[in-house]
Amino acid sequence: MAQQTVTIHGIENGQRVQSRILEERIQRAVTQGARELLVEAFGQHGIGGRLWISREEPIKVRITGSPGQRTGSMGFPGTSIDIDGSVSDDIGWLNAGADIVVRGNAGNGACNAMAQGKVMIAGNIGSRGMTMTKQNPKYAAPELFVLGSVGDYFAEFMAGGTAVVCGHEPQNPDNVLGYRPCVGMVGGRIFFRGPHKGFSLADAKLVAIDDATFGWLTENLKKFLDAIGRAELFDALAKRDDWQLIIARSPYEKTGKTRRPMGEFRAQVWDAELGRGGLIGDLDDSDRSTIGLIVTGELRRFVPVWENKKYLAPCQASCPTGIPVQERWQLVRDGLMDEAMDLALAYTPFPATVCGYLCPNLCMQGCTRNVGTLKPLDTAMLGKANVKAGKMPKLPELSGKRVAVIGGGPAGMSVAWQLRLAGHEAVIYDPAEKLGGKISSAIPSSRIPADVLDAEIARAREILPHIQTQKALSADEFAQIVTDYDFVVLAVGANKPRMLPVPGKELATPALTFLKAAKKGEGKVGKRVVIIGAGNVGCDVATEAARLGAESITLIDIQKPAAFGKEKHDAEEVGAVFKWPCFTKEITPEGVMLQSGELIPADTVLLSVGDVPDVEFLGDTIATERGHVKVNSVFQTTNPKVFAIGDIVKPGLLTQAIGMGRDAARAIDEMLTGKRPCEDTRKMIDYKRAKLEYFDPRVLEFNDLDSCASQCSSCGACRDCGLCETLCPVGAISRQQQEGKEFAMVSDPEKCIGCGFCANACPCGVWSWVENTPLTT
Amino acid sequence: MQSTAVITPSTLSVNDLPWQIEWDKNTCTLCGRCTSVCPVNAIELGVHRKRTVEALPGLPKKPTNSYSIYHGIRQRTDPAYRCIGCAMCNMVCPNNAIAPRLRPEATTLKFHNNRGGAARTRGGRRNDGGSLLDQIKFIRISMLTDPALDAGRHEFELRTLLGRIQPPEEGLAALAQNGWVPAVREIYPLMIGSMSFGALSPNMWEGLVMGVTYLNEELNMPVRMCTGEGGCPPRLLRSRFLKYMVLQIASGYFGWDEIIKALPDMKEDPCAIEIKYGQGAKPGDGGLLMWYKVNKLIAAIRGVPQGVSLPSPPTHQTQYSIEESVAKMIQSMSMAWGFRVPVYPKISGTTTSTAVLNNLVRNPYAAGLAVDGEDGGTGAAYNVSMNHMGHPIATNLRDCYENLVISGKQNEIPLIAGGGIGKNGNLAANAAALIMLGASAVQSGKYIMQSAAGCVGSEADRCNVCNIGVCPKGITSQDPRVYRRLDPEKVAERLVDVFLSFDTELRKIVAPLGRSTSLPIGMSDGLGISDYHVAERLKIKYVV
Repeated sequence: MAQQTVTIHGIENGQRVQSRILEERIQRAVTQGARELLVEAFGQHGIGGRLWISREEPIKVRITGSPGQRTGSMGFPGTSIDIDGSVSDDIGWLNAGADIVVRGNAGNGACNAMAQGKVMIAGNIGSRGMTMTKQNPKYAAPELFVLGSVGDYFAEFMAGGTAVVCGHEPQNPDNVLGYRPCVGMVGGRIFFRGPHKGFSLADAKLVAIDDATFGWLTENLKKFLDAIGRAELFDALAKRDDWQLIIARSPYEKTGKTRRPMGEFRAQVWDAELGRGGLIGDLDDSDRSTIGLIVTGELRRFVPVWENKKYLAPCQASCPTGIPVQERWQLVRDGLMDEAMDLALAYTPFPATVCGYLCPNLCMQGCTRNVGTLKPLDTAMLGKANVKAGKMPKLPELSGKRVAVIGGGPAGMSVAWQLRLAGHEAVIYDPAEKLGGKISSAIPSSRIPADVLDAEIARAREILPHIQTQKALSADEFAQIVTDYDFVVLAVGANKPRMLPVPGKELATPALTFLKAAKKGEGKVGKRVVIIGAGNVGCDVATEAARLGAESITLIDIQKPAAFGKEKHDAEEVGAVFKWPCFTKEITPEGVMLQSGELIPADTVLLSVGDVPDVEFLGDTIATERGHVKVNSVFQTTNPKVFAIGDIVKPGLLTQAIGMGRDAARAIDEMLTGKRPCEDTRKMIDYKRAKLEYFDPRVLEFNDLDSCASQCSSCGACRDCGLCETLCPVGAISRQQQEGKEFAMVSDPEKCIGCGFCANACPCGVWSWVENTPLTT
Repeated sequence: MQSTAVITPSTLSVNDLPWQIEWDKNTCTLCGRCTSVCPVNAIELGVHRKRTVEALPGLPKKPTNSYSIYHGIRQRTDPAYRCIGCAMCNMVCPNNAIAPRLRPEATTLKFHNNRGGAARTRGGRRNDGGSLLDQIKFIRISMLTDPALDAGRHEFELRTLLGRIQPPEEGLAALAQNGWVPAVREIYPLMIGSMSFGALSPNMWEGLVMGVTYLNEELNMPVRMCTGEGGCPPRLLRSRFLKYMVLQIASGYFGWDEIIKALPDMKEDPCAIEIKYGQGAKPGDGGLLMWYKVNKLIAAIRGVPQGVSLPSPPTHQTQYSIEESVAKMIQSMSMAWGFRVPVYPKISGTTTSTAVLNNLVRNPYAAGLAVDGEDGGTGAAYNVSMNHMGHPIATNLRDCYENLVISGKQNEIPLIAGGGIGKNGNLAANAAALIMLGASAVQSGKYIMQSAAGCVGSEADRCNVCNIGVCPKGITSQDPRVYRRLDPEKVAERLVDVFLSFDTELRKIVAPLGRSTSLPIGMSDGLGISDYHVAERLKIKYVV
């Protein structure tokens, strides 16, 4: 078919042809064979695009006049468009292969989304040129040539193709690439010549132009200049040093915005402005460098402390005599039975009589094992073993100081015993032939075997002088004693029976009178016995009455009987009946008449409502209160030379009397020798610290001392079990042998992480875990 | 519990506690790290006795008992040592053998947190996860009705103005007549709310200021941080970084002698002065820095003796009315810097905030008003104050803004909103919502602690022990054994991360709204909510 130029008019009869009509006419002309078209444009949209036939047969479109937007859009391969002058926006939009030459400037959006083809601009272009371009691997990449400069936001989201910005007579001589080019650019390249004001460094980068690349540039630059009819510029433009090349960064190169490392900022900006040590370097020179969560040494928040023997074991703390019960069990555990026995004698002259038989064993009541409903250790068993065992403590030389002890009962013997052990002579004044007070004279032998008592009294007598007074001490005699001795200790007990103010009280026998007589073998009772007062003494009376032949025994009291322990058990054993509340109205030969009108028949009425001290001999030299001698915390009376202990001060247990003796002796010794007070002020350990889970809860009886000792939790005193050493997660704890048998468990602060495991695992509660000393002041 | 122990009304079982320790005997290696790190000693080694009864099938012989002992990790039930759920045990456990689990149904402890008659105090927020701000949607999306904007591609002017912005004619007239115009700062709209040096550890505070400085000097983001009322380190006062700080003066007046002494040496003016009248977390209540936090350093910065408790009373002692406060405090603080520094009060959200605002409108020296809503956080407050006192920020801010609109002053006095912004992590959305309700800027403290320093506090009463100096992350403690866990550089880095991502998110909100040249302050037509009454109250669109 002959080539023939078909002219399409944009204005017809003075009227602008609509874009739709013009497009129809162009398409029709091509369909009818036209391959060269001249379009006299008048603002029509999209001229020159979509000429499908150009794929097979090239089509040339020349455009004169004023083409509208999107000239050459969706251009096809084989279509070449030559525009005489400038074009509006979006030249080459979605170009799929057309070659477009613009012999003037182009507006905004040139080549937006162009995928193939070439667009050559003989002037400048507006903003957002070469944006969203594509590069389909199946086809040649798109190309844009601009003789001058490009507008703002050039190459946004550019994904492929080549742009060449020659910078020849640019619209903006200071910046041929416009404001903020290359934002979001992911592919393609931009050759440019001339100054620029930066581009998106996050997306693109400048690279050197190698020979092959420059070869492509010069070859195609020449074609471009030929196409736009400016071949004369080639030599001026083809200077290699004038050209720069921007390419998109690969995804691997896009590491986000690079920030100055904070460490560098701190050193070069922060500290440089503020000074060494930063914000507070002038106020605080302490180390503020970073530490981990698990730390050792002084950085630990909590630290373990081996508090061996810092606290009293509950058994010892519960014992009014203050016997270190747990230490005795430790000696037993260590196989040092003799030492265990010796130890008791340093505290009491009656380890067997009292601990083994007569004491309600407050130590056992206080034993930590009760807390876990475990059977407490059997101190009575330990006491009983002490009858003949145990060496007398080594006696010091006598100091020359002399103390008179008035009364040789448990309190008096205790104070005398302790004073002698401290090196002072203690002389006991007692009217009885046999020392021991009520233990010897009134407590039934059913409760304390005579041989045990005799043995212990004999042991005490070896070191304690006894002056047997013939009658009750007079005031004058007492005054003389006070004068003669350095100190005097009153320990006469309570020997005056308390009587009930009821009619017929003379028909009743006081308990003490009865018990003393019974012990001497002189007691007598009828078949029916009523005992008024159902305490433990009343129980003793009941058992003795039974021994002497009573058939029915009734203990009455105004309240729930206070009796407890072995005494009560023994009384019940012999068939005694407890009855309360009973308010005695009168004692008659028939028995005890109660206020309720009831008569409790009795052949013998025994009165056991307590005894009071006989303090007449004191005259008014020493203050008393309600019949008892007033003392201070160390049992000193209002006469500083005179102490008072035992029932004369306050009715109590044997162990309490013995304990008062110890305390008074210590106070006297301190005064005699000028020592600093050496009272054991340690507090009892918290029950929670010992761990009872280590013990078998089903051990219900102890066969021997060894098996009993093994069940002791050794509260507050290390039993050297090695558990802490084993359990410590970091191996910080070790055992250090010290002089003799002494040792210590030591935690190495450089290893210890302050976990508190030792404190919570220690069976004895020796380890504790305390807040570390504050680091800052 | 010991078998013979008696119970008291406050004797609790593990199952009475909200946070319960789950410990796995099989994987635990007894390394001791969990008990070592637990900030409140809620866990300890336990000694356990295990009994096995051995009986053979058919009972051919008498069954036997055997006991064995094992050690494990045990939770304490004493309310004083309750687990706070911080999960540091889990963090240090090499075998993931231990972790606290929240049992919300275990409420008994709530009735026993007043031991000795001492009402509960704690740090944190209201322990209420709900957030009205989270429900606000941005519903005006510009696609073709306005220039479509691309958050990633376009440039946005996100800065805001702090200071009295006079209309040009008024400003020019004032300049001509008085030779003075109010100081105005261009700042980033997300401010770091006031957290004092003392409430925060030195490492935390330094990290925050370092991060703020980095944002300003490296990234050109004019982020500002308020000092809180613990004074300001003398070095900072004399450095150029002071311009990034808002100095706070509050009822305790701590550290002000140091600030006054530094005045002649200041290279830069501070960004602004905030006069604190109230705090959203504990409105109407004061503060107390416990004596054990007042170490040598804190004492030096605050200008007080060491080792004494420092009360900040609920009120300024010499001020009796808002009129007087405005007159005295704003004058005094403005005068200190030659009227070159904006001065604004901060109040807790209250129905009376509009009265405060109206006073400020009449005072040409007032540079703005900060309102802190009930959802704000604190380092120490009574539980009851935190949970029940205060006004939600949204309506309070809205009322203030509308008040300004009525008097035509909405562009003149900036409102700064705070209190619960980002409480569920939606920092930018909450901030944008408040801005569009009328705030010129927002303040956040708790979110910053959570994001920049790893604070584990949550709205489920997790941790919340900021007040007792044992903060497991070293944020709110003065004990170097704890605060040295925190690296100031890492805090600064995270702060930068937070602001950069916030910046992106804010753009992602304002770009679809078609706003790039200025913040959409008061652009409430772009807001919607699916709650009719809220929509009516806030005068935003009801959308379902």
